[in-house]
Amino acid sequence: MIQLIVAGLTVGSAYALIALGLHIILRSTRIVNFAQGEFSVVGGLLALTFAQTLHVNTWLALAGATLCGFMLGLGFERFVLRPAARSGEAGLTIATVGMVFVLLYGHALVPGWGSLPQPLPAFSGEASDVFHVAGVAIQVQSLWVGALLLLALAAMYVFFERTYFGKAIHAAANDPLGARLVGIDVASARAVSVALAIALAAYGGTIIGPIALVGGAGGTALTIKGFVAAVVGGLDSPAGCVAGGLFVGVAEKLLGGVFSYGVVDPLVYSLLLVTLLVRPQGLFGKRVAVRD
Amino acid sequence: MIARLRAEARLLPVLAAIVIVFGIAAATNATFAQAGTYAAIYATAAIGLSILLGNVNQISVGQAGFFGIGAYSVAYCTAILGWPFWPAALLGVALAALCGVAVGFIALRFRGHYLAMATLAFGLIAVGVFHEWSALGGAAGIANIPYARLGSISLSGYAGYWFAWIAALGIAVVSLNLLRGRTGRAFETIRNDELAAEMVGVPTRRYKVIAFAYAGALAGLAGALYASVLGIVVPDAVGIALSVDFLLMVVLGGSGGVCGALLGAALIGFLDIAGHQYANWREVAYGALVIGVVIAAPGGIMGLVRRTGPFKPSAPDGAAELPRDTPQAATRAVSHVAPVSAPHAVPLDVRGVTKRFGGLVAVDDVSFALQPGTLTSLIGPNGAGKTTLFNLICGVGAVTNGSVFIGGRDVSGRRPHRIAALGVGRTFQNARLFGEMTVLENVMAGAFRAERAERAVRERARATLDRLGLSRVAATYAKDLAFGDRRRVELARAVAADPWLLLVDEPAAGLNASERATLNDDLLRLRDAGTTLLLIEHDMRLVMAISERVIVLEFGRVIADGDAAAVRNDPAVIAAYLGTSTS
Repeated sequence: MIQLIVAGLTVGSAYALIALGLHIILRSTRIVNFAQGEFSVVGGLLALTFAQTLHVNTWLALAGATLCGFMLGLGFERFVLRPAARSGEAGLTIATVGMVFVLLYGHALVPGWGSLPQPLPAFSGEASDVFHVAGVAIQVQSLWVGALLLLALAAMYVFFERTYFGKAIHAAANDPLGARLVGIDVASARAVSVALAIALAAYGGTIIGPIALVGGAGGTALTIKGFVAAVVGGLDSPAGCVAGGLFVGVAEKLLGGVFSYGVVDPLVYSLLLVTLLVRPQGLFGKRVAVRD
Repeated sequence: MIARLRAEARLLPVLAAIVIVFGIAAATNATFAQAGTYAAIYATAAIGLSILLGNVNQISVGQAGFFGIGAYSVAYCTAILGWPFWPAALLGVALAALCGVAVGFIALRFRGHYLAMATLAFGLIAVGVFHEWSALGGAAGIANIPYARLGSISLSGYAGYWFAWIAALGIAVVSLNLLRGRTGRAFETIRNDELAAEMVGVPTRRYKVIAFAYAGALAGLAGALYASVLGIVVPDAVGIALSVDFLLMVVLGGSGGVCGALLGAALIGFLDIAGHQYANWREVAYGALVIGVVIAAPGGIMGLVRRTGPFKPSAPDGAAELPRDTPQAATRAVSHVAPVSAPHAVPLDVRGVTKRFGGLVAVDDVSFALQPGTLTSLIGPNGAGKTTLFNLICGVGAVTNGSVFIGGRDVSGRRPHRIAALGVGRTFQNARLFGEMTVLENVMAGAFRAERAERAVRERARATLDRLGLSRVAATYAKDLAFGDRRRVELARAVAADPWLLLVDEPAAGLNASERATLNDDLLRLRDAGTTLLLIEHDMRLVMAISERVIVLEFGRVIADGDAAAVRNDPAVIAAYLGTSTS
């Protein structure tokens, strides 16, 4: 039971970071990036390449993958989202669906990445190292995942709430015209927020790498679970996205203890419909009245 | 909208001819025939998605789920239960349509990205079920599906080509006819402006569900054809990649209508075969292609086709049929307003209506009743709650307290289109016309609830334009209208169904003096014909000149109610507009 919960919190960390990224992109571009999970997969694979070919340790590989994620995000915003924006919300969304194909099938073409998931070297010791708490064996790597998640969240909090540029991004997302009038470079703000979101995805894909493997065709499932997490927690609340991610991760592992593997994913997806029907604003979101 | 569909009707025979020529040429080439067969199967599903995306503006990233339902129904019923193809296909289409209805209901609650994600989840859940349900063969799927038979002919191989294309082209013709009639008009109003569509009496929720059910049924039919032609169905073949393929076909061909879907599906059908040995590269190219088309040619292939000679949409609808107005047209019209009468002694009775938005009380315990055939003005400073009150009367948003009776019936909780159907018309503060439709089409949409037969709808719309002297702009797209005309066209749309209660929101805003005079006449003419009018207006000269009664709102409350002269001299009203001397 405890092991399942710890395992759930571990994968939930990746969902949380996907959800947070979806939230950031949604705020700044008004669309859901369907390729978010694929970027996470690519991030993990980049870390793998750094670890294998440059022989750096996993920490440096993580930094490299996150940085590459940021650059990929800048490119994605500049060459896909920005030009597609004039096709409206539907066009933009479809462009991100197209991006899913590019990344999903593209990464299978890269030598060494293949289509089968592979393990990333552990952050410390061996991936199989465990310690015991009250007789329950817990993977050391799980602790690193938790710590790294907190680190990312702290960094995001400081950036968005404590720096001028973070606040400018808020302003640009809330009211692009108003932000432009007070001298904020809205296009750059949007580019940086997309880049940050993609960097978060890459980071999330890497930190769970030693436990949950990197690569494979699971990117779209990751996107949906991240979206489920965001909806469960409240799509308009960053804290809700993170809590939702951990919740979905734990729910998935607990359901996995009862049902067979193939049934769990459909059950998790149906959480989306249940939440939307019962509590559309999510567990942490605010209910807003909209005037027509 | 009709002009575009007419152009498609001209293009469709050309495409059919290409299919026939290609079919004859491919008689000896199995690979080509097979590619053509797949193209037809894809096209059947793509037409449904094209209508959903392009005509109703609803996204679905899970069409492969419906496709899978059709395919597995045929596979299971024929290969395992031993049914013939046709009843199995019928079952598959029915099941897919049913799931379409379910997804349609989801679409009523969620828009935009929620809907996209919910449909994606539907597709993944469907694949999960195919995978896990042991009767369906798990990952290995169901093989040895017999070919469909027509009498003694087995519809296999080359015969399958003709079979699949007869189905696809038949669906194209049926769909085009659907789009050119009442259903298509309802779709088009939803795509342009859902709220305005409800207000003219289009049951938008029903039509959205219909659109999803139709798209689901077509994807199911395509799946049924696929199972029969290919002989084997596996879960991976109906996965998320196929859903994306369908989106790609529609985006590539150009969404909306049927020809774009046919062209997109044909192209992908052949690229699939041509790129056969370049797995992965092919899909990367597809993804890049989607992005490229969205960026560089949002109209897809049809967007380019529409720019060229014979398939360019010709004169918009309304141009050919309507005579130019003679100078006498407007004056002649005066006697032509159809008399209407309310079915009840009190057309509108607002009883203690309150509306709260969170802590803000927008409308506070408002009560009044209107006499039939009178013109009442609702005035008050900005933010007094006038438009909110209009919305509540029309069923947009629920009242917090109190009730609204229209024609003696309590309409609380009724959808706007049902309130409109009672005989209520409305115009909006910001003239919400259907921009992509011509003026004639807008007014035809206004007559939606009054007539069912297409000819009658058209006749009524023409008569309405004629009596308002608007025939000269009948063929103009609403988005291209001059401001003053927008207001009048909206009025024409609102009166096309001869409402006995008409709510008019700031009709004079932005009009020049002569346009105001015309408006003045229009409103009086409607009143004299028996229409009960409730008017929100800031132009005091207009209000005082034509109103029998004036109701003044401030901060959501009625502060004065009486004839124009009394209200004008009411100290509370003067204070509300000019401030009091003590403040």
